[in-house]
Amino acid sequence: MHHLVGLRWLLGLYTVLFIAFLYGPFVVMGILSFQQGPEGGPQFPIREWSTFWYEHVLGFAPPSRIAPLPIAEALTRSVSLAFATMVVSTVLGTLTAQAFRTKFKGSGAVFYLVVLGMMVPGVLLGLGMALVADQFGIDRTWWGTAFVLHVVYTYPFAFLVMLAIFNRFDRSVEEAAWALGVPPGRTFRKVTFPMIFPGVLSAMLFALTLSYDEFPRTLFTSGSDVTMPIAIYGTFAVEIHPNLFAFGILTTLFSFAVLTVYGILMGISTRRARARFADLQEEIA
Amino acid sequence: MMELQGLTKSYDGVPAIADFSLDIRDDEYVTLLGPSGSGKSTLLRLIAGLERPDAGSIILDGTNLTGTPTHLRGLGFVQQKFGLFPHMSVRENIAFGLRYRQIDPVTDRNELDARVEDMLELVGLDGFGDRMVGEISGGQRQRVSLARTLICEPRICLLDEPLGALDANLRERMTIELQRIRSTLGVTFMHVTGNEAEALAMGDRMIVLNEGRAIQIDTPDTIFNHPGCVQAARFLNTYNILPGGMENGHFLSAGTRLAAPRGIGDAAHYVIRHDHIDIRAGGTEPREGFAHMEVEFIASEFLGARVIYFFRRPDGGVIEAERHLSVVRPKDIRRGETRVLHWPVDDVLFYDRDGDLLETQSSVLEAV
Amino acid sequence: MSVLSAEAVGEAHRESFWRRHLHVFLLAPGVAWMVLFLIVPLIMMVYVSFWTQTTFAINSTLTTKSWSTFFASETYYGALVRTLRLWLTVLALTFIAGYPTALFIGQFVRNKTFQTVLLVTCVIPFWTSFLIRVLAWRPMLGKEGAINIVLEKLGLISGPIEVLLFTELSVIIGMVQIYVVFMVGPIAFMLARIDDSLLEAARDLGASPMTIFRKIIFPLSLPGVVVGAIFVSVMVLGEFATASALSGRKVNLLGNIIVTQVGSLKWAFAAVVGVVLTAVMAVVITGLLRLVNLQKEL
Repeated sequence: MHHLVGLRWLLGLYTVLFIAFLYGPFVVMGILSFQQGPEGGPQFPIREWSTFWYEHVLGFAPPSRIAPLPIAEALTRSVSLAFATMVVSTVLGTLTAQAFRTKFKGSGAVFYLVVLGMMVPGVLLGLGMALVADQFGIDRTWWGTAFVLHVVYTYPFAFLVMLAIFNRFDRSVEEAAWALGVPPGRTFRKVTFPMIFPGVLSAMLFALTLSYDEFPRTLFTSGSDVTMPIAIYGTFAVEIHPNLFAFGILTTLFSFAVLTVYGILMGISTRRARARFADLQEEIA
Repeated sequence: MMELQGLTKSYDGVPAIADFSLDIRDDEYVTLLGPSGSGKSTLLRLIAGLERPDAGSIILDGTNLTGTPTHLRGLGFVQQKFGLFPHMSVRENIAFGLRYRQIDPVTDRNELDARVEDMLELVGLDGFGDRMVGEISGGQRQRVSLARTLICEPRICLLDEPLGALDANLRERMTIELQRIRSTLGVTFMHVTGNEAEALAMGDRMIVLNEGRAIQIDTPDTIFNHPGCVQAARFLNTYNILPGGMENGHFLSAGTRLAAPRGIGDAAHYVIRHDHIDIRAGGTEPREGFAHMEVEFIASEFLGARVIYFFRRPDGGVIEAERHLSVVRPKDIRRGETRVLHWPVDDVLFYDRDGDLLETQSSVLEAV
Repeated sequence: MSVLSAEAVGEAHRESFWRRHLHVFLLAPGVAWMVLFLIVPLIMMVYVSFWTQTTFAINSTLTTKSWSTFFASETYYGALVRTLRLWLTVLALTFIAGYPTALFIGQFVRNKTFQTVLLVTCVIPFWTSFLIRVLAWRPMLGKEGAINIVLEKLGLISGPIEVLLFTELSVIIGMVQIYVVFMVGPIAFMLARIDDSLLEAARDLGASPMTIFRKIIFPLSLPGVVVGAIFVSVMVLGEFATASALSGRKVNLLGNIIVTQVGSLKWAFAAVVGVVLTAVMAVVITGLLRLVNLQKEL
């Protein structure tokens, strides 16, 4: 396809437009987040440029009729929930993927059981869990009923990431350790885990972001103490204000920060791995 | 001493190792020659405990190891791909087993360091201890792999094509190194290879493996001069194997009558080593006691001290002759020219329809 | 040399038991979690759909009344039809909008780094709160929104286009933007995996670019399309937030009905709608999975 220069440019141009389509709303949101406040609404024209809504989000703005976003409680809950979910689903995902490294009867059934967790729409799962809680008299809390559903949702992602990592893992390294008399558990800690760590990091990142943003599963199961997405959803019903846009921009920046840290960690570990693996591959080939 | 008794393993109904039995003595170098797919790696993995046998047992000094997991067997296993720990230095790789093994780990720092240092010296890696394993060459990796196994003082060290990943030059050097290291430590080595030269050069005893069965177990010398069966001769890669049958005291192979000694039984394979064949000018008359074949030259391969000549047989097949340049000068033959090949009938080996070696007068004489 | 002690031999037997059943121990926590918190709730949902609904409560007397209410009601039945229509539209549009981009990234960009940069660029919006992403369409599509302002400034329209916001169209636009990335990713991945020598061989044999696309590139990208379609279907069929945010509650999908019913404590009705939605999902997903072996493609 290299000689199809015309088509190449056409598709390139299309891709640029496509990316503009993906980013358009963000740009508009970014502009409107600098709307004057508290009277300025979430629409054009901009009355006056100001950082009022950022101050409002962060709680520095003078009190007004617009209720501040429940950052302190809801955001703390969301972040704690995301971290707990990340840990549990990464551990479960790694264990399950480890089991899938040997063939066993019923592996197909287990595979689809786990993958089902990411396939079932959140609203169904939330409803089902709410029914179970209602029927068995379990309190619906963000750290209980919502948490287990977050794991149901993110564990399949962690599992698939780890499965892909193990598929590329050279098992002769583990066999070498066993043959040296090192028991399997210690081999996993000393050899396997350090080698799959970059994959574990990806799985953790997946689980963290999915859980942080999770909302349909949480809606029916978090009870009265809401998480951040539920708090935002709550504003749908009433009037929306540019403070949401300011918050969106701030969370985007935060996501970038997390991604950058992840990128740096990955960069370090692959560079170290490259130094260590240097030309091992080609020499074996 | 290790006894393997009736080891059997199949994958999805396809047998990889079938009823394999062998006694391995202490302080012995056993080589195991087999083509790919002969089950040689499976055999090592069974002994190492990385695979579970369908039947049979592995007994080491009277203890049945068959159900014992790999890490409690006290055996060493050197892999073809080395399997070094990429996130550790050479020193850490070598110390790893000694330090973290379940049985009798060495926790004393000084002792650990001293033993690693000794081992580095033994395998010729002094001064490389602090390099990462990605920073050393293929041959050095091979040595690390060997060193970290030997430092654990295994009772038997299994080597799975240990030289397979090295280039030819390095391979020859490591052959000598391996023998030196083994005799220094007095550990039994079981060395699996697909390379006949390696198997012949290194072993005190040699096993030829075919389709999961040992087809010959003997000294390399005996196996080389008298392959016990036609498959063994084929794996040695130094025999011409002509199919055919006996007719009126001659061996008839695709239209050529070849001289055969008297009293030979019902031979189905006529086997002559490459270096027993003499090349004569076209039209040379047959001689008493020599077999004789008119052939057409195809090509030759110059291998330094020796040359291998390829000829077309009358039936279209290829026959190879090898000459050592210390014995003869290289022959200048042009493609398509006719030559006569000559060889002493006494040097010919005959195998029956089942591939078993037939006794000839000369072989009987030699045995006496 | 170390000698196996009696203790070590005893341990060997225990170890080998462990090892033989290791996968069971490894799988147990995950499987237990999924059965308890995924399968049990889904079964509960089916069960409750047959319970008796009174104004403020439900009781476990079995009845099919909720089911007959669902199929008799124009609202519920209409929601099912609307959900299916919207799903098919969004699915088709994500494919049409996403494929050319995936083709460009997977086949026309040869530089691996640039390929990754483009894919990451497409994925970045995914890192922002889903709900805020939905809300961001409001100032974009509204009567005084960015699109109308730009079009008016350019003189292309005289008055604002009003169908842009709070209609089914706005829901479709929003969903396509949010979910198209899940179509682009798998397709680009499959396209990038195509062996170049295959295409060269086809060119050497004199195949035209169109033929190469039809006979080689497109068929090889199909598993990606199916995986993308699974992602998009799963998410669109269970949607309710985009619909309620961008349609001003005018477009009610099955998801929206569930939310409303739960809000008014109509558990049995909600469960009925949930089971219907599950059935639709099951048919769609198994149909798509029949086209591609998910376990093999990974």
